[in-house]
Parts: sequence; C-alpha cells; structure tokens
Amino acid sequence: MATHALGLFETPSEALAAAGELKGSGFGQPSVISPIPLETAEEVLGEKKSVIKRFTFFGALFGGLGGFALAAGTAVLYVHPTGGRPIITWPPFLIITYEMTILFGILATVIGFLVSARFPAFRDRIYVPEAAVDKFAVAVPCEDRGVFEKAEAILRGAGAGEVREVTE
Amino acid sequence: MPSDARPQELTYADVNRDVVRSLVETGSKYYITLACSIGVMLTCFFFPWFYQLYYGIGAAGVNHPSVWGTYLASFIFWIGLSHSGTLLSCVLHITNSEWRKAMYRSAEAMTLFSLCVAAMMVMVHVGRPWFIHWAVPYPNQMEMWPNFRSPLMFDVMAITTYLTGSTIFIYMGSIPDFAAVRDRTTGWRHHMYVVLSLGWRGTDLEWHRLRWAYTFLAVLIIPLAVSVHSIVSWDFALSIVPALHQTIFAPYFVVGAIYSGTAGIVTVMYFLRKYMNFEQYITKVHFDNLGKLLLVLSLIWTYINIVELFTGWYGGTSGEIEALRYRLFGYYAPLYWEMILFCAVAPLLMISKRFRTSFVPMLILSILINIGMYTERFLIVGTSLSRQYLPDAWGLYVPSLVELSIIVGSVAMFITLFLIFVKIFPSVSIYEVKETLPEPEPDTTTGEPEWQPTH
Repeated sequence: MATHALGLFETPSEALAAAGELKGSGFGQPSVISPIPLETAEEVLGEKKSVIKRFTFFGALFGGLGGFALAAGTAVLYVHPTGGRPIITWPPFLIITYEMTILFGILATVIGFLVSARFPAFRDRIYVPEAAVDKFAVAVPCEDRGVFEKAEAILRGAGAGEVREVTE
Repeated sequence: MPSDARPQELTYADVNRDVVRSLVETGSKYYITLACSIGVMLTCFFFPWFYQLYYGIGAAGVNHPSVWGTYLASFIFWIGLSHSGTLLSCVLHITNSEWRKAMYRSAEAMTLFSLCVAAMMVMVHVGRPWFIHWAVPYPNQMEMWPNFRSPLMFDVMAITTYLTGSTIFIYMGSIPDFAAVRDRTTGWRHHMYVVLSLGWRGTDLEWHRLRWAYTFLAVLIIPLAVSVHSIVSWDFALSIVPALHQTIFAPYFVVGAIYSGTAGIVTVMYFLRKYMNFEQYITKVHFDNLGKLLLVLSLIWTYINIVELFTGWYGGTSGEIEALRYRLFGYYAPLYWEMILFCAVAPLLMISKRFRTSFVPMLILSILINIGMYTERFLIVGTSLSRQYLPDAWGLYVPSLVELSIIVGSVAMFITLFLIFVKIFPSVSIYEVKETLPEPEPDTTTGEPEWQPTH
C-alpha cells in the first residue's frame, strides 16, 4: 500500500507546474490525471518511450507473411491449374497479404496499447472522479508523513485547491 | 480551422453533463422510434428472408442472366455508406482538424453499422447462409479451401479487416469517455461502463499510449478503407462483362463510397443534432464543411461518370456500345437520369454557402444523394448483366417484393442499431470536444460536484 499526495488543480498549467516542481525536488515520478490529453506533459514529466510501434510493426510483418503463406500455401497444397498460369500468382495473393498485414497490424497495436498502458485494470488505483470532468490532479508517491507534508506544501504553493492523502 | 467550430459558451462540466444526459435520459419518442424500427426490421427484413430461406432463392427476382440483383446492390450501397465514417475520421485526425471532434464518433458508428448491414446482405444474397463458414480458411474433412484468386475471397478478407479495424477504432477512441460516464452512472450502466472503460483514469501515461495507438490505427485504416471499396469494385471489374470490365472501377467505387458516406453523415448529424439536443455541438460549421466536401466529391464523381461513358464509347466494341446505349436510353434509363439529377446536378446547390448552412435543405439533399447512389449501385449490377455480348443472353431484371421489402428492412436494421448505439456510446466525444474549449477558469461555484453519480 503506497501512499500518495494528490493535489487538485483548476487549470492544466498549474498542475503541470506543480508536477515539474515535484520532479525537480527529488520526489518519485509524479503522474498527472486530466480530463483531456495535455500536449506539454512530456516537456515537464520527461519524454515517454512507447513500445506500441514495435507491436504494430511486428504484428503487420507477421500478418503480411502469414497472409502470403496462407494464400500461396493453399495454392500449393490444393493445386488448381488455370490455363498454364503460375500456381503462385502474385497480384491476387498480394491483396490477401495486404489485408492481413493491416489486420494483424491493427490487432497488435491494440495489444501493444493494452500492455503498455497496463489495461485492463480493475483493482483500486489512484483516481479522482473530478479529473474526468474539469479538474487536473497531480499525484506523487510519499514514503512517510514528512515527505507527504513537503509534497503538500509544494502542491498548495503551486495553486492546488485541495490536497488529499490517497493509498494505492 | 474556423474558430467557430468549437461549441460556444460551454464548460468542461457542461460537456460531461450533456453527453451523460443523452445516454441516460430517454423520452417516449425514443422508445416509439425504436419499437417502430425493430418492427419494420422484423417485418420487412427477417420475415421475407426466412420466407426466402424456406421457399428457396427463387423467391427473389434474380435469374439468368441477371443473377445479381438488389441484394448485391444493397451490399455495395451499405459498404459504400460505411466509407466516410471511419475514413473521414482518420483523415481528419491525422490532419488535426478541430471540426471533426464533435461529429466523428457518430460517423464511425455509421461505418460500423453499415458494415453489419452489408454483411447481412451477403447472408441474404448467398441463399444458403449456413454454408457461409466455407469462405473461411479452416482445415476440414472435405479438403476444401477457399480460392484466394477470387475477388470474393478478397472481399471476405477486406471486409473482415475493415469491420475489425472500425470496431477497434471507435472503441479505443471511446475509452476515456466511458470512464467519464462511469463516474456519473449507477446500477447496471455503471457496471457496464466499468468494464468498457478498462479502468481508465486519464493519467499522462494513459493519454500518451492512447495517442500513439490511436494515430497508428488511423494510419493503418486509411489505406484499408481505400482498399476495401477497390476490392468490392473488382468483384465486378475482374469479370469480362461489358460496362463492368473497366480499370476506372476502383477509384469510381472509392469516390462513390466516400460520397454516399459523407451524405450519410449529414443525414445522421441532422437527426442527432435535432433529437439528441446537440445543437451546441453540431453546428452550421460542420454542415458547411461537410457540404464543401460533398460538393467536391460530387464533381469528382461526375467526372468519373463522364470518363466511364467516354472510355466505353471510345473503346468502340459492340458489347460496350450496346451496354452504354442500354444504360442511357434502355429500360432502366429513367433510373440513370434520376441518378444524374440527384448525384451530379442537385449537389451543385451546395456552391451556395447559404444552402450548405441550412439544415433542412442539407438533410433533403443528403437523402437524395443516397437515393441516387443506391440507384447507381443497382444500375451497375442490373444493367450490365441484362445486356451482355449476345442478344440471346439479354434479359430484364425486376426486383421481387421480397427483395424490395429487404431493402426497406435493411434501412430499419441500420436505424435500430444506431438507436441502440446512441444509448450506449457517448455520441459526441467528451474529451475531444473539451480540447476545443478554452481552459477551465478557477471554480467559484459551490454547487453539487459534477462527477457525482446521478443516474
């Protein structure tokens, strides 16, 4: 059960300023909970690397190879000669390859999203319902009471209307 | 981007309230409409279909030489209607268009349900739908595998991929909104949104991942959408039937699909705006922009039609010339000229901004365009097969009552699915509309917090 200090802000700029200050003061990685995506969050909280692109790439690659193997394999296993034309015919098989590339690219992207964003997550985690409406929350882990009070001071100083002690 | 695309004088809390209200407050008008559409769907779609299953495909009017009839025309029509939703949404997402944000969710739903209806039309068309799994490659004791050289198999792969992609795209974009609705609902709705939202909280990490995944999906779906209707066109163009065997068919179908899909979006937006009380969200700006898009598409569509006629005439083979003559002046000619009137002439009204920003005229025009586009699909299927090379292979096709009824029933099916959708999915994207609003001001009110469960 980790304790967090959670400050609620009226505006995204206040929340991001508080998160930046917490990060600069040696606290653990703060997280910002917001009703909209914040374009500048990465500038404050540091650049995030995403593995989704690798999922997409390898999914698409697998789909493409699998799609061609499916079409060509079917043609080779169940030979159906057509007027002396090649058994493995590129133009139609590339269409199957193309569709399967995209299908598996899409499916792998979804898996990548779920894995990297840690979904589905139905256990209790730090959350404030107001942050789905019009408030911006900043949460930072605190090991003990002293750290919490220090975090609370920073959050209030940055303009938090309310600071809560929450556990995950 | 015109600045007035954003809803005026709304706050973040207003957006949550309005969208949740659209989901949980349901008037008698809604239930009456839903009951009517379900009734029409059962009477006009499922009853005639079961009748056809019982008595055989002879209940439909298709016969040699016109073995494709309105079922195939309806299939192309619904696939076409599906085209603008997800495709337009993806293109506008990539180009960061702000006016997309209030309308894309419903447009994507249109895609999804059009595809579902199109898939049903295939079931009806094949006559023996209990063998539909034969189109899926799976090891079986008959040693029977699909022929991947056939455009029909291209169709199976493309439509499966598009349906999967569209479903995932609309769902993924809705996850933050499901979470917002989850906090405001109680009872079974709350449980449903808890599951649908996957535990979304709106952390910077989650937004980051969603943005990446959503953009990747958009990039993957754009070429997919183009390929789907190209492939549908090859069902026809890869035959050697005069007036079908044309290289222009793929772009012709894609443009036609986006055209009818955009007209469909206008129709859906009108009803959503009027009956779900989204006047502040879906504004004249949306109709103006969609009108401009429709105008451009109508001009491209007209151009392609002229090219189709020209190449047929310039080719000069007797089969092509006869097919063209028959289309322009034969038995189905009134339908051809109706199509030209609705899809090439009437849309020119949208040159006027006053017309584009008038809701009722735009609604009427959008419906006329889709009537014209249905006619186009009927003509592609009907006239070509009726007039093949040899006069002894000529024949007329007139749809039977079963077929006509199923056309009406398919529209009712679409409406039913859409009516169910608007009560489950937030029809307007909560978080993306908020992005278009000014940043929230410090709160000075002391009323009940907006996130309290109320329904």
